[in-house]
Amino acid sequence: MINSIIQSFESMLNSGNILYNIAALLVYAIMIFIMLAVFGYMFGWIERKIIAKAQYRHGPTYVGKYGILQNFADLVKLFAKGSLDLDNADSLLYGTALPILISLTIFVVLILPIFPSIQATNLSFGLLLVLVVVAFMPIMIFLSGFASGNKFADISAQRSILMLLSYEIPLMLVIVAIGLVSKGYNLQSIIAMQSNSYYILLMPIGFFVFFIAMLAEIERPPFDLMEADSELIAGWITDMSPAYYALVLFLDYSKVLMSSLLISILFLGGWLGPQPIPGVAWLIIKAIIIAVIAVIIRATTFRMRIDRILRMGWMILIPLSLINLIITYIVFVG
Amino acid sequence: MPITKINIGPVHPSTHGVLRLAVYLDGDTIERVEPHIGFLHRGVEKLAETRMYMQNHPYMEKLDYIAPMAYDEAYVSTVEKALGIEVKERAMYIRVILLELQRIASHLFFVGTIGNDLGQMFTLFMWTYMDRDKVLDLLQEATGSRMFYVNMRLGGLVSDLPPDFEKRTLETLEYIDNRVKEYEAFIEKNPVFHERMKNIGILTPEKAMDLGVTGPVLRASGVQYDVRKNSPYYIYDKLHFEMKILTRGDNFSRYKMRLLEMRESIRLIREAFKMMPEGDALGMPVKLRMPPTKNKEVWISREAPKGELMMYMVADDQKPYRLAIRSPNFVNLSAIVHMSKGLRLADLFATLGTLDLVMGCVDK
Amino acid sequence: MKIDRKDLLSRIKSMKESGYSYLVKITAVDYKDHLTALYFIRDISKNKEELLEVDILSSDAWLPTIIKEHTSADWYEREMSEMFDIKIKGRKSGRLLLEKWDGLEGPLRKGFAWGEEYKQM
Repeated sequence: MINSIIQSFESMLNSGNILYNIAALLVYAIMIFIMLAVFGYMFGWIERKIIAKAQYRHGPTYVGKYGILQNFADLVKLFAKGSLDLDNADSLLYGTALPILISLTIFVVLILPIFPSIQATNLSFGLLLVLVVVAFMPIMIFLSGFASGNKFADISAQRSILMLLSYEIPLMLVIVAIGLVSKGYNLQSIIAMQSNSYYILLMPIGFFVFFIAMLAEIERPPFDLMEADSELIAGWITDMSPAYYALVLFLDYSKVLMSSLLISILFLGGWLGPQPIPGVAWLIIKAIIIAVIAVIIRATTFRMRIDRILRMGWMILIPLSLINLIITYIVFVG
Repeated sequence: MPITKINIGPVHPSTHGVLRLAVYLDGDTIERVEPHIGFLHRGVEKLAETRMYMQNHPYMEKLDYIAPMAYDEAYVSTVEKALGIEVKERAMYIRVILLELQRIASHLFFVGTIGNDLGQMFTLFMWTYMDRDKVLDLLQEATGSRMFYVNMRLGGLVSDLPPDFEKRTLETLEYIDNRVKEYEAFIEKNPVFHERMKNIGILTPEKAMDLGVTGPVLRASGVQYDVRKNSPYYIYDKLHFEMKILTRGDNFSRYKMRLLEMRESIRLIREAFKMMPEGDALGMPVKLRMPPTKNKEVWISREAPKGELMMYMVADDQKPYRLAIRSPNFVNLSAIVHMSKGLRLADLFATLGTLDLVMGCVDK
Repeated sequence: MKIDRKDLLSRIKSMKESGYSYLVKITAVDYKDHLTALYFIRDISKNKEELLEVDILSSDAWLPTIIKEHTSADWYEREMSEMFDIKIKGRKSGRLLLEKWDGLEGPLRKGFAWGEEYKQM
């Protein structure tokens, strides 16, 4: 039955009728949104449990079995709270930056090839589009922090732009290397090219650089300078209303999903894997492994300082990604 | 770039209490910091003038709620000196053991909070808090209380140590010793920690003396001063321990100093248990009427976990005429004004964290 | 050691040159007829401590600042100044250190009286 649904869906997407295409795309987008929400919810629970384990705690146990409903209870609490009217805020920019940020995240997941057969659109420049949209995210954070009129948010916004300079270039250089190997930026063909050997084996340096730059991109520790609680209280979300804060949490988790999906597609072969398990499951398993590594890093490491991140970006990541690019060129092209 | 003024505190995740810092920022670099203290000012010095000697006793512990035993002991010693009361020998050993246990507990708390100040997600804090709890269990066994002990009495203690206390303490110390090694590995194998702590907030020996910082902060700058060595009280001159000195005077050596001191405290307690004589350790029961004072004006210095704690008392007949407390945290906090210029905003909190502040002790 | 107010600054200067370079504490005691300011100064390398006592009249309560010799005197002087209502001359007055909002002067003086609004509490 599922197969027949997928098949009819596929035929809708590929049929020439534009109305059918739009309808199918909408359904797909809603599906992705639900998937993100469910994953975000589950990931929130997993993260709390893992961090609790690292800290000799139990984590949430009270609401629901194994505390699985704790995040839902938190969500209810957040939505039950009153909202703040900010005097200094530019309300239009402040109100729209966060929804745009979330829709950007959903858009990225939308164009990633999650299912072997279904994809919203199979662009020849899919990977480049993903990178462009991802690069917009810190700018939206900057706008949101800048518009809130809070000094802490302002400093956090400045930090997000400063950090952008350090990790965006290595990210691009690694992408170029991937493009060289797979002779194009089509995401489907990138996965297909990995059927012999995953790119993590072909370019381990590239994987390392990409992973670190991606951590910085999605503001996970040790690069969570925008939300540095020891100095900036909560950074760009300091003055957010509780309902908006719930959206920030959703954004946080969906960005983790987005980046771990991207890493597993680019370096771990996406849905490729031994047959009996379906491809989607392989992709999700790989993504969860990447996300859990990010959580363990979060539980153990200290936060870096802004000038150190810049130094690391320019002195370590960019040379490493250049080396990666040169090696890739010599081995696969030259 | 124009100077931005931001207010940090009085309620803020990493000011360790109700401290307000007015920070003047030039971009991300600190131009000037003005600490505003006094939110926790309880007027203990004035209050002490209105109460009898032993009525004041419980107030003193509330100043430093991370290491209350040090204040407990310091106040009772001041009164003992004013009244001319001798401390029993076994009581001296027990006091030293309890004080050193308290020092370990306080330093464990410090190691945990430094993780928070550097933006780690409470992992280190939970670890050290768990171990601190084990030390507090011991103190609870010995005194009956976990936080505010009021355990000292004039000439001795309220009760002797419970049976088997030595065995359990040595077991716990063994455990803490191993855990300190684990912390060292966990913290110092992280390159980010070195980046964040080394060569930041440097205090040269001259500057440290000029700013008047005390305790581990002073010794981390290479100044050899430890009250336990320089003017020994109780049995510290009989025990074998080293005064640890580090020379760089940056955040890293201030952190390292605490780990080294914990090791020395463990050594001290082990030795004190070996040398402890049998006998009576009980002090005088609490009475409002006290024997007449012998010394009009007394002051004592003690090496509290945070630094040198001095109590100055002008004794009246039955109550202090004036009690002045030199709290180590007050002077350590005052140093941040001079240490912070040119630091990055994030480093301000690392530096503030290495001073190991307790705001109750700063404000008095 | 009792010294006079006018000798305080020169005394501390000469002591600092001879090695007494660590200021431990500045505080004061109100003996009703006069105030006594106390300066605990220490020579760390020789392990010696000196107590300077300066008697001043309650009505004419001022002291010279020693902030030029010991930077750590800054907060001690401000604390003493607020608690005993002693003027410190020769330095920038600065803002209040202990956030004393209610305008009560010299709470640690013996003659200190609470305002009417506090008595009803």
